[in-house]
Amino acid sequence: MRKLILLVVLLLVAVTPALAQEELPEFIQHSECAVDLTGQTVTIYHFGDISGSYAFITQPLLAGVADAMAYFNARGGICGATVAADNRDTGGDQAQTQAHYDYYSTLDPKPASILLYASGDAELLREQLAEDEILAMISAGSVAGLYGEDGMSNGWIYATNPLYADQIGSFCRYVGANAAQFPENPTLGYISWPGAFGEAAYTPETIAYCASQGVTILESPEYFLPSATDISGNVLNLVDAGANILYTNSLASGPFMIAKTVVDLGLEEDVVLAGVNWALDTSVGLLSRTALGSDGLPAVNGIIGSLPFRWWTERAEPGIALINEQAAANARSLSTQNIAYLLGWGAVDTYIELYIQTVSRVGSLEAATGAELRATLDAMQYAPLGLYNIDYSGGEIRALPDNRIATMMFLNATGDGPATSGDDAMKVDLPDGTVAYIPILVPLTGFEAAPDLRPGGADVP
Amino acid sequence: MATLTSTFTQHRRTLTRAAAIIVAVLLILWLVPILGGQRSYRLVQSLVTGLLVGGIYALIALGIVIINKASGVFNFAHGWLMLLGGLLFFSFFSTANVSPAAAVGLPLIAGALVFSTNGWRSLVTRRSLIGVGGMTLVGAALLLLPGNDWQFLRAIAGAVIGGVLVGMVVERFAIRPLIGQPLFAMVLMTLAASELLHGVTQLTWGSVEIPLQVFTGLPNLGIPAQIRFGEDLFERAVNIRADLLVAFLLALAAFAVFVAFFQFTSAGLSMRATAENQKLAQSVGLRVRTILAVAWAIATLLATVAGVLQGGASSLSLNMPFLALRAFPAVLLGGLESVGGALVGGIVIGLVQEMSNLLFPGTEAGTELAPYLVLMVVLVIRPDGLFGQKRIERI
Repeated sequence: MRKLILLVVLLLVAVTPALAQEELPEFIQHSECAVDLTGQTVTIYHFGDISGSYAFITQPLLAGVADAMAYFNARGGICGATVAADNRDTGGDQAQTQAHYDYYSTLDPKPASILLYASGDAELLREQLAEDEILAMISAGSVAGLYGEDGMSNGWIYATNPLYADQIGSFCRYVGANAAQFPENPTLGYISWPGAFGEAAYTPETIAYCASQGVTILESPEYFLPSATDISGNVLNLVDAGANILYTNSLASGPFMIAKTVVDLGLEEDVVLAGVNWALDTSVGLLSRTALGSDGLPAVNGIIGSLPFRWWTERAEPGIALINEQAAANARSLSTQNIAYLLGWGAVDTYIELYIQTVSRVGSLEAATGAELRATLDAMQYAPLGLYNIDYSGGEIRALPDNRIATMMFLNATGDGPATSGDDAMKVDLPDGTVAYIPILVPLTGFEAAPDLRPGGADVP
Repeated sequence: MATLTSTFTQHRRTLTRAAAIIVAVLLILWLVPILGGQRSYRLVQSLVTGLLVGGIYALIALGIVIINKASGVFNFAHGWLMLLGGLLFFSFFSTANVSPAAAVGLPLIAGALVFSTNGWRSLVTRRSLIGVGGMTLVGAALLLLPGNDWQFLRAIAGAVIGGVLVGMVVERFAIRPLIGQPLFAMVLMTLAASELLHGVTQLTWGSVEIPLQVFTGLPNLGIPAQIRFGEDLFERAVNIRADLLVAFLLALAAFAVFVAFFQFTSAGLSMRATAENQKLAQSVGLRVRTILAVAWAIATLLATVAGVLQGGASSLSLNMPFLALRAFPAVLLGGLESVGGALVGGIVIGLVQEMSNLLFPGTEAGTELAPYLVLMVVLVIRPDGLFGQKRIERI
């Protein structure tokens, strides 16, 4: 009798996890697993600036990765293997980046893949990753980070979005196609943070391409530090040189400071604000509530930029609906519900599909080396949670087909569209007695291929 | 060769001055045509902005100078003290109902530290106990002010009490044990403190940028957010940001107070004596420990003021401590021990930065090069800074 009870208990113990394991929704179509990895762990090795200047973007990324891992692990992980993360903090210091990479690359076995975040880190590690045959994935990145100094050599870093150079090209194409919406003789002043990220979109190729679209990029870009108190000198340098569009490759306080300065100087009617995908981030909209324009809306209202993925408000997309639901379930704050959180989910789902395809082909996790993962990625076509499309099958190492132009606006009081003025806007009372305005992104175009603007790229004039 | 060397040695001062004058004349000859080509409103705008931004640099520099005057230590943690002070202000500004435990605990601990600057034993005197009790009562009453009508008063009280507490904790547990040790050890300790403060701020407030809305109420006081003038004189109006103007005026007021403090009070003189030689100061009866504690409390309060003003002008973020790096040239330029020098240094660096931005657009000269170039030139000519004390050491 005891043996029978013990047997039943053991059976229950064995069956319960399988019964408790939830199913993935139908819209997530992972490949079939040909191997069972139950009991094993696949680690996403990530290093980024968790405590330095970019931490306010990296922290939501980590939140997205953590929530996505918990969600997928509860639904079978990678063929039964648990997905885990190993996050290392560089503090924005490249010496730390190198130290962490040295640690990873000397592990036995060394990681087959890593998740990168900063353009500068990509540029630093490009050659080393190739030498160590470690695959890396990054959101966007610079030409030098992906294609090297000559801009023409594929490396081991793959971008899930168009490069920053491609993004400014998309914007110029939009200006050229919609000239009536922009000032006459559109002249773009480039204003950003110094460094690999901030300077990534200002290249001879982008200048030439924009000129072909009827947009002149001024010869002298302006750079300011993220800690700057006032940037009116930088803005006026560009405006005096003829700029009527200010384009920035910065994030969080960067676009906010530019917009605030434009309002301060009374230039709202004279210049259009534009920027990289990060310039449309939630953080920019939330920060901007301290500087209102003449219409009573936050100064960044109307900033135009790239949106190479689905956005939080597109709830008709099942992936977006799922992320909204999970963010609410995990009590993620409004400031965490940003681009990086979305990309965290996208990265985890991409890793899962990448590993499923690879281990199914090579037979085991041990055999899924960097080279094998790369071989899979080179032929992979996938849309992680429908956020964006990955298609490296044509020999590209970045996602060119997925870009669209959007503008940041603020929700109206009835919650069904953009506000036209401060009086019309939805205002959320905050504990300090002030109000927050809810940023929304309004797509101005559909998804279309971004111009290829790396040196020698197909669209470089 | 020997003749040449001896001639140089004999006339070193004259030759150095002559070289400086030649460099200055060449610089002026080079800059005048460039300046002449500028639009007049830009020149005025850059001067105004440089002056106002220089006020913030000067305020930061003053905090560093205060520590240096009292202890001879260059405080590398000042930037993080700024951010921490700004975040404390924000917390009390945005929390309508402070928990009673925090409202009582914070001033109680701060009071205990204030009244035990000369050692923990001094706490158990009647005078100290009354002092701590009074401080706790007043502090708790201010921190418990409910609602948003009193948020400024509550935030100022919270930032002052919190700032004093942080400054004294750093002094008591990090700096004091090193009294009498080589100054280099204390300098390294400030670096360690900066890392600790970095961790504390991130663990407590996270990494998100926080907009601090301290200046949005200015229009309600009849002060427009921007003051514009010169439309009739120039092709475009010159703009003065009211937030920066307020910061500048506060910086001037702080300088006036501290110049008077160091010149006319015995505490100020004691600080100067302590900076000169801690052991000697102690041997003539000065309470070195108390002096150091007071200096750290004052410097942290100044850092807090600078943090709140900078947070209001841009935002509270992990980038803010790097602003202190821009004040370092101001400190060295003015002279490490000079309060007035910090003001002049801050303003000079602000002006140099803005004028370089104007004259050399697109070169990053203003942010990355010019302040340090000016610093280098000044230090070559005057190694102790413009107003620093000349040190003569017996060897």
